[in-house]
Amino acid sequence: MSVPAPIVDFVNFLIPAGIFAMLALALNIQWGHTGLFNAGVAAFLAIGAYMAAIYLTPYVAPSIVYPGHWGYAQVWQPWFGTAVAFVIAVLLSTLLAAFVGLLIALPILRLRTDYFAIATLALAEIIRLILTNAQTATAGTIGILRIPGPFDTLLPGDPDLQAVAYATLVIASLIVMFWLVQYVTRAPWGRVLRGIREDEEATLALGKNVFSFRTQAFVFGCALMGAAGGFLASHLGSITPDNFNPLATFAIYVMVILGGSGNNFGVIFGAFLYYSLDWVSVRIDDYFPPALAEKMPAIRFAAIGVILVALILFRPEGIFKEKKRTYPAVTK
Amino acid sequence: MTEPDGHPILRTRNITKAFGGLQALDRCTLEVRPGTITGLIGPNGAGKSTLFNVVIGLFAPDSGRVYFNGERIDGQPPYKLVRKGLVKTFQIPRELRAMTVLENLLISAKSVPGEQFLNLFLRSRRVRGKELESQRKAEEILRIVGLFELRDEYAMNLSGGQKKLLELSRALMSDPTMILLDEPVAGVNPTLTLKILEVIERLRRQGRTFFLIEHDMDVVMKRCDWVIVLHQGRKLAEGTPDTIKKDQNVVEAYLGS
Repeated sequence: MSVPAPIVDFVNFLIPAGIFAMLALALNIQWGHTGLFNAGVAAFLAIGAYMAAIYLTPYVAPSIVYPGHWGYAQVWQPWFGTAVAFVIAVLLSTLLAAFVGLLIALPILRLRTDYFAIATLALAEIIRLILTNAQTATAGTIGILRIPGPFDTLLPGDPDLQAVAYATLVIASLIVMFWLVQYVTRAPWGRVLRGIREDEEATLALGKNVFSFRTQAFVFGCALMGAAGGFLASHLGSITPDNFNPLATFAIYVMVILGGSGNNFGVIFGAFLYYSLDWVSVRIDDYFPPALAEKMPAIRFAAIGVILVALILFRPEGIFKEKKRTYPAVTK
Repeated sequence: MTEPDGHPILRTRNITKAFGGLQALDRCTLEVRPGTITGLIGPNGAGKSTLFNVVIGLFAPDSGRVYFNGERIDGQPPYKLVRKGLVKTFQIPRELRAMTVLENLLISAKSVPGEQFLNLFLRSRRVRGKELESQRKAEEILRIVGLFELRDEYAMNLSGGQKKLLELSRALMSDPTMILLDEPVAGVNPTLTLKILEVIERLRRQGRTFFLIEHDMDVVMKRCDWVIVLHQGRKLAEGTPDTIKKDQNVVEAYLGS
C-alpha cells in the first residue's frame, strides 16, 4: 500500500510538531502554572532521548571508526518487537527524566527564580557535555544511529506507512497528556501552583508547603519532557548531543509564550504555530533567489526574534490568554 | 479592667532577631490571652512586623522560644502553624493577583484532599465533596465581608480597602483560633474601616483571638482589650488602653505629649 505524498508530508510535519507540543505542555506546568523558570528543558529532553535510544538499539563495541555505545536491544529482541520495546523505552525515559528532575530539584528548588534559571541552564550544559564526552556510552559527537521506530516490526519495509502510524501515536499520546495536565491543573493541586506563581510567600503564609508543590510541579514537567525525548529519538532515528543545545529550550519558551502561558490548549497551539512557521520558512527557500535563500536560516532566527518582541509588546499574555476560573455560586 | 484571665494562647520568650547589624528583636517576651483583641503598638522600627513574622514561622528567630497553646512552635514552617490554627495577614495586601477573589479564598482552606496529586485520581469524589464544602464556606465569608458580588473578579482589580478585606477573609478560611493582623485598617476609608472592625469584633465573640499591629490610636484605644507596647525590640509596657495612655514611658517613647 502506498501513501500519497501530501499525506506523507503532512505526517512528517505532525510528528515533530506533536513532540514540540508535548514539550510546551510540560514547560507550561513548570513556567506557565508554577512560575518556575526552567532554562534546562533541553537537558530533560536529552535524558529521555538518550534513555530511549540506548534501550532500543543494540550494544555497539568501540572500534576505530566509531566510539560505540551502550544498548539493550539484545535484551528485548528475542521476546517482542519494536512496538512493545518502544512503549517500555518511553516509560523508562519518563522515569529517568523524573528521577533526575527530583535529584536536581532538592538542592536548587529553594533558589530564587533568577538563580534557579542559571542552575538549570548549567545543568543542561553539564548533561550535554556528559553526553559528548561519555563516548563509550553515547558514541560522543557522532551520536547513536539507527534508532528503531515503534512500527518497524509491525509494518516492515514501508517507511511511509510507519510514519502515518507514528504520527497517529504521537497525536494520541499528546491528547492523553493534554487531558492529564488539564485535569490536574484545574484541580485544587493546580490552584496551589498558580498561587505560588502569583506570590510564593503569601501562599506559604496561607498554609501551603510551597517547596513540596514546586518539587511536584517540576518533577511532573520533567517527566513529560523525558517522554517527549523518547518520542523524539525514534522520530529522528539518530541523535547527537547537538540536538539538545540551549536554543532548543528557548524555542519551547517561544511556543509557550506565543500560545499563552498558563493555558494548556494555548501552548499546544503555540507549538503547532511555531513549528508551522519554521516548516513553511524552510520550504519557501526555493522561491527566493539563491543569494537570499542562502541566508534563510539566519533570517528565520531574526524573524522569530521579531515575532517574540512584537508579542511581548502587543500581546504579552499570548494568543490564548489564561482562562479565568469562575464557579457558579453554591449558596443563595 | 485587669489582666485578662486564662492561660496565654501565645507566649514568646526572649526572642532575638537581628538583620545584619540591626537588632530588630531583643529578648522580646510577651503573652496574649485567648479571646482578646490585643493591640501591639510602638514606633516604626520597634520590631512589630518582625515579631509577627517570627511567630508565624516566616523568619526563624536567632534565639528564644514561641509557644502556641502551650506547644513550642518556633522554627516550624507556616503551613504547619496554619493547621494548628494560627494565621497572619500581611501589612501590604498580598493578594494572588491573577486569581479570582473566590479562588483566593479556596486556596486558603486547610486540609484540602484535592491538593494531593494522587487523590485526584484515587479519591476524586472526596476531592469534589471538599471543594463544594470549601466553596460554601468561602461564599459565606464573602457575604459577611461584603465581597460576594466581586467573587469572580481578579484580585488585582480590587481597591486597596477591598484587598485588606480579602486578606482578612483568606485568613478566616482555615478556621483559625488566633489571627495576627498587621495593620488591618491602615489606608482604608472610614466606612470600610468600620466594616473591618465590625467583622473582627464579631469573630472575637465567636471565641477567636486577635493580635494586631495598628498605628491608628483611635482604633487601638477603642477596640483593644489589652495593649502591648514594643520599643527597640522589647516590651516597654502593657496594660489596658487607659493605663497605657497614662504610662509616662509610653508617652515619651511613642504617643508623644
